[in-house]
Parts: sequence; C-alpha cells; structure tokens
Amino acid sequence: MWGNFFSTPGGRVAANRTTTEEPSLTIIRPPRSAFRRKRFLVPFVPSVLVALIGVISLVVSGNVVLKLDRIVVLEGKIASKAEFFTDDAVRRILMSHGIQVHLTQVGSREIATSDLDGYDFVFPSGKPTGLLIRNRLQEEGKSFIAYRPFFSPVVLASFRDYAEALVRQGTAKPQPGPLYYDLSMDGFVGLMREGTTWRKLGQDNGNLVLAQTPDVCWSNTAGTYLGLVASVTNGNRAPVTEAEALDLATKIKPWLLSQGMSNEDIPRMYFAPEGRGFAPVVVIYEHQFLAHQLRVKAQTGAVDAKRVLLYPEAQLQSVPEFIGLTESGVRLGELLTADPALRKRALELGLRVLQRDGTLYERQVSEFLGEHGIDPPAIGVGDTEAVLPALPLLEKMIVEVGGCKR
Amino acid sequence: MQAVKLLAAVALVAAALAGCTSSTAEPTRLTVLASAELADLAPVLADLRRDTGVELALDLGEASTSLVPGQYRHDLAWLSSDRFFQLKAKGAGFAGPLPLATATMLSPLAVGVKAGKAKELREASWADLADRAASGQLRFGLADPHRTASGLDALIGVATAAAGTGRALRPEDVTCDKLRGFLAGRAFTSSSATGLTEEYLRRQDDVDAVVDYESVLLSLNASGELAEPLEVIHPRDGMVISEYPLLLLDPGKRAAYDRVVGWLRAEPAQRSIMERTGRRPIDPAVPRSDRLSGPIGNALYFPDRQEVVDTVLAAYDRAVSGAGHHVVFALDYSTSMAGPRITGLREAFAALNGFDSFFLGETITVVRFAGRVLDERTVTVSGEGDLAALRDFLASDDLADGTAIWSALDHAHRVAGADAVVLMTDGENNAGMSAEEFLNARTGAARTYAIRFGEADPVELDRVSRATGGRVVDATATSLLDAVQEVRGCG
Repeated sequence: MWGNFFSTPGGRVAANRTTTEEPSLTIIRPPRSAFRRKRFLVPFVPSVLVALIGVISLVVSGNVVLKLDRIVVLEGKIASKAEFFTDDAVRRILMSHGIQVHLTQVGSREIATSDLDGYDFVFPSGKPTGLLIRNRLQEEGKSFIAYRPFFSPVVLASFRDYAEALVRQGTAKPQPGPLYYDLSMDGFVGLMREGTTWRKLGQDNGNLVLAQTPDVCWSNTAGTYLGLVASVTNGNRAPVTEAEALDLATKIKPWLLSQGMSNEDIPRMYFAPEGRGFAPVVVIYEHQFLAHQLRVKAQTGAVDAKRVLLYPEAQLQSVPEFIGLTESGVRLGELLTADPALRKRALELGLRVLQRDGTLYERQVSEFLGEHGIDPPAIGVGDTEAVLPALPLLEKMIVEVGGCKR
Repeated sequence: MQAVKLLAAVALVAAALAGCTSSTAEPTRLTVLASAELADLAPVLADLRRDTGVELALDLGEASTSLVPGQYRHDLAWLSSDRFFQLKAKGAGFAGPLPLATATMLSPLAVGVKAGKAKELREASWADLADRAASGQLRFGLADPHRTASGLDALIGVATAAAGTGRALRPEDVTCDKLRGFLAGRAFTSSSATGLTEEYLRRQDDVDAVVDYESVLLSLNASGELAEPLEVIHPRDGMVISEYPLLLLDPGKRAAYDRVVGWLRAEPAQRSIMERTGRRPIDPAVPRSDRLSGPIGNALYFPDRQEVVDTVLAAYDRAVSGAGHHVVFALDYSTSMAGPRITGLREAFAALNGFDSFFLGETITVVRFAGRVLDERTVTVSGEGDLAALRDFLASDDLADGTAIWSALDHAHRVAGADAVVLMTDGENNAGMSAEEFLNARTGAARTYAIRFGEADPVELDRVSRATGGRVVDATATSLLDAVQEVRGCG
C-alpha cells in the first residue's frame, strides 16, 4: 500500500503527490532591469518528503540522534555534495554520531539511471534529478524519505580578466562586492549564437565563448544550465509543447556541444592553480566558490581575487535532495536537517541552509561572509519568479542535446 | 548514441578516518594495466604498499590506446588518459557500465625544446611551432599517435589549433591537410612512450625537441643524461592535459581500490608524486612546486567523437607517408592584374606561414599565364633559398594581354606528379581552350581549387573545379590571403 505524502518535522502529514509537484526548476527573475539587485525566492518547499511502504520504520519524532555503541558505515551514491561529506569537520561530527559514509561519486542524473541496490542513501544535487529518482523508486515500490537540508544557486565562475572582458563588451556588470558580477544571459547566449571567440573580446584565447559544464546526461548543473540557456533563447519563456522544446533543444545543441568532451571534474579543474588555462568559465554551485574563498581567506588572510562569480540575472537555485533508502540512511537525513553542528558546518562550507520548516533566514550567508571579512554577493530574498521547462520537457531536451541513453 | 561517462569514486572509509579503522587491511596484490611512463612511480608504490598493504603489479604498455571497453584481464587500469577509452566506448555503442575511475595526478602535454633554441619559442602557439618545423628549424620526436596517448594528444592539439575554429574539432574541420608543415619537422618517432625518450637520448645531438608530457620532460632533465637541458614549452593554444585515472576493472576489488585511491589522493602522496615524478597534484589546494608554477596555455575543447580521431589519424598517415606533396599554382598574369591585384597575390604568398607554410620536401610549381602560358618554375623546398627563388619568380612584372584560363589549367594538370592545382584568376577566358575542351582533355587526378577574384566567372570556375573534385573559393567576398589559406593543404 502506497503512502504519498509530505511530512513536516512535527509529524503532521499533509496529503500530497510527490510525482506531480513542482515545475522542475525555479528561476528568479528581477522584475525590471537585468542589472537590478537580484533576489532569491525562498524555496518554500517542505524539507522532508516521505514515501513509505513500511519497510523503513521511521523515527520522525525529532529525537533522532540515537547514540549507538558501534560505528555504522553507510553506503551512499552522491554527486557534487560529496564535497560536504569529505570535509574533515563533517566527518568528525558524523563520527560522534557513530556514522561513517562510504561514497560512490557519480553525476546526479547518473544516480537516477544506475543501480541503487546496496545503498543507504543517494544525494542528487537538484530537484530535477531528485524527482527522477523519487519517481523511479516509487515505480519500483521502494520506500524512501527525502530531505532538503540546504541549497545553493547555480552560477558561472570565471577569472577576473575574463569577467572584465565581458564587462567591456557589455554582457556583465560588476557588483559592489569585488568578487561578483551580474551576467546578462541574453548577452552571453548572443555571444554563443554568433560563435564569438574570447580573442575577439580581447583575451589571448582562440576558444569560443561558452561556459563549460559536465556531461548533460550526467550532471545536475549541466541539465540546469541547459534549461536556463533554452529559456533565455526562447525569449525568457519556457517551451510549452514537446515540439517546441525539441526545436529549442536542436537550436541550442551546437552551442552546448562546442565544448567537446566534457569533464566531470569541472569544479576541481577550475579551482586548480592551472584553472585559468583549463576552464576559464565554468558552471558550478555558489557554495563551491564560497567554500574556496573562505578556505583561501583562512589560509592566507586574503581572498582569491583572481576568481570571480558571474550571477545570471535570473537566479537559478538548486536544491539538493538527500534521499534515505534504509533506516540508517533516514537517520543520516534527519541528522542533516536537525543537527546544529552539521547545519553550522554546511553554512561554513558556503551552503544556504534551510530551516526545518523549509524557509530560509535570508541574511545568513551575507552575515556569515561578513564575519569572515569577505564581501557578500548582492542577492537576497525576492518575490518574482520565472519558470524553466517543466521537468518532462527538460528531460526530453537533455536527452536530445546529450544523446543520452534511455 | 549513448553518452557514457566514467564514474568517479571517492573513498572515505579507508585509513584516513581518525585512525579508527583499517587495522583490518589485508595484504593484497592487484594487477594493473598501466601506461608505460608510470614506471617512474615505483618508489611511490613501495610507500603505498607499506602504508596500505596493497601491492600494485604494473603491466606496463600503451594502455591508454589499447584498453577496450568490456575486455579486461587486470584488476585495475592506470592510464595516462581515459579519453580514448571513452571515445571507443561511445563510438562502439558499448552498453555496459564503464569502470569506476578516479583521476590521480595531472600533466600537460608539452614540447621539450633544447635550451639554446627555446628562447624564441617561450610564448609560441602550435602555429609558431609548425612554422619552424616546416622550414627545418625545429626537428622533433613525436610518438606514434596510433599507439600512444601522448602522440595522439599532440596530434589532436595541433589539428585543433590548425582548424582554428575555437570549438571542439569536427571531422569536416580536418578536410585539408594542414598538418603537413608541422609534421615535416618530425625527425623521429616511436611506437611506445618509453621508446620515444630512449630515441631522444640517442639522437639528442641531431634534433631540437621532443613532444611529450611535462612530467616526462622534467624527468629527462633530471636524468643526467642530457647534453643540453630541455626547456618545457607549453604552446599557448591547444593544450591537452592528462589526468592519470585509476580504473576499477574488477568491481570485486573495490575495497582495495578505495584504499589505494584514498592513499594516492591524500596530500602526502600527492606531494611525493610531484617531487619524484614532476606530475601536478590532483588536489587544487596542494601548492605547486617552483618548476610547475608557470602558465600552461589554454586547454582545447577536446573532441568527443571517435570519428574525429579517425579523421585526424588518416590525415597524419597521409602526411607522414613519405610521398612528397606537389602543388601546382596557375597564376593569372594578364594585364588586368596590374596594380593592387598582383601586389595582393604576391603578399598572399609571402604571408603563408604557420600551418600554411611551404615545408621541407614539398614541391611547388608556379605556372604564370596570360593569353598563353608565360613560364613555369618548380622548386622542392630544401631551405629558405628555395622560397626566396619562388618569391623572385612571382616578382616578375611581365604582365601580358589575354586570359587563357583553361589552357593554363590544362598545362598545370600535365605537370608530372601534381597532387593539387590551385588556379587564381581575375578575368574571363578569352584565349586558348574552352572549359569543355579542358575537361575532355583532362589527364591526372589532381583536384582543382579555383580562387576567384575580380571579374572571373564564378559559374564556370565552379563547374570545372567540382568536376575535378575541388571547389571554388571566392576571394571577392574575403581577402585573397584568406582564400589562399583556405585551400592551402587541400588535395
């Protein structure tokens, strides 16, 4: 017998259908000028989603921190949020709860298409892939509980001279904080459409202007970025019909495939000392950039002034979903959303941490960065949103552009 | 088509965790199909065995190009690059899961140039290197791209730079053989990565450079066997980097694999690898040593289709086949060419450089014509003097009346051994054969590339060019130089 419902931490259960919820991605657009101060829409989503068939006996009572006298090793399949679990402090906190994690790192979309037997949890990096997995688990009649402990915007990361080249060309504009720029996606897509090279913009680089992503068949950032480029190309309007979506996919495909063979390790390549040569503009999560700056600041006393973020004018949030598949997995999910030490550490790693009720204290990141002597990006909580392609259409576009299996 | 991607593993359980596990680590021996240059890791592997109990038995060879998806005889594979493995899997539609793979260290492909010659090449692009190679000023070793990852990476770097599109190479970007000039500098080769360095040591007095991974070049310098040290030149464009992924071929060995990967990627091992082998740490946060701190150029967008690799290899085979390349230029010296047009033609020839340079061993025939063939000159390039002679010939000012396009083309096609004919004309045929007569009388298989400018008839040039397998390039739309560059290397 299926139970599909949202559960709030207090144990109150609201009937709902997880399979039909949510347009896939939420873009927040500023109401007027592209270069207005940008804002976030707080992801008003329940932090816990439950689908049960009774295999997992759940402890959703709030008192989840069960002390065990032995260490449990959890098997997890995970994407970019592996960075959270490989953090030494996070490992120590988990160890204090008797938990170790053993991770197999793949792309978020790959989690949805690969074998999940033997795993205690999976952790795709965004809702589109989260929903793919939840739908699949439901089809297979498997229990799970999904948690949304934090989120982070999808952004373009680059180097200062590249960002300044875009400023001269009129596609980007510096924010007050020295590490951040606003990016006109219309302008950026225009550069891709025209096949502009960086050399034309004054850089000593003959490559086409584009933002490198992992394989779109593989990763959440790549799929999300595809949705953004599609929507911008379509006059900032999501395609409605399948025919329209596929037309659009065919149109943007050459721009996205110009990067050739993709690299799953794009963030690592970007942050490497050789990064400027490897990958001058990449699509990553904001938290990866902020974590880098916090680390560099702590180690050297100054931020890494060469690396900068380009915020698309329409904000793209990405809300990763921790999906517990076993009792142990669920226990870890509860810890992620409830344990103060883990939540504090998530913030220190640049993530925007959601409250247990799914809301966000909007100034948490700017206050935290400020305390550490780093200028915060000019983004906040807003109330205007635009919608990217609905999930089924986005999925079709991803398959069309990437030639993905299935 | 399916996109197949390798899995990356992050191993966390192993010894790294607060010292509370891993006393259980049993001595284990894993067989590893490994790229030949990884022989230099022997001391690191001894440490690995001491710390983790895992012995890696390396089976050294050209692993990056020989590993076939699904056909495994080892527990692990440790490749300089798994790009070719991925392309193979994708090209063959391999449906099974691909092995877990974890990048372990980095080294960009580079050109080791003798210190005495390196100064002027420090900021070089691949085109600059091609320019030197074409004229015999840069003689280098390059491993066989059919067999070695370093050779193939280099070839793709050069081909991508030569295509100059700024995007990942496509098969259609490799239509004209722009690699011949660069490859004219290839003084020696080898079917294996280690064979190449051995050959360089033997021939170091006769040659200028060797193309290989930065780590190999640094190791050569440290070997004490070089009479003159090599300077590591990173071409500004078309950089390719190796990430040395460790692949888990036998999933049953996951636990030992995790131990190995966890140890290798930890900072002590990464530093040890950097100091002992000159490879760069995979961890962005590990500072690079002094010798690894300079800029390394811009990475190319690497092609993602096997078809591209096949096309580039075919172009390579043609270029190094030993058969000389012979191109015939039929140039219009009628009176209408007087002034800027003839000047532009001479300038276009003088400006052929980089990937478009005339190269050692290439034979060039120039046929000047007006109402008849005026004269003809053939040189086989053996040095700068031959190119100067060609320029002198083009400098002739004896423009004449009439335009016998098809008679001149007929003459050009009768030049023995011609691989391609490039016709340049600004007028309409008013003497000699008709186009029809030319086509009926045509001998040989050389293609005609017609460069049209001025008042030349596009329709007839197009018809004749296509009949020979060539095409027309319209210099009225671009510049004469662009047009000459476009057909350079074709045929």
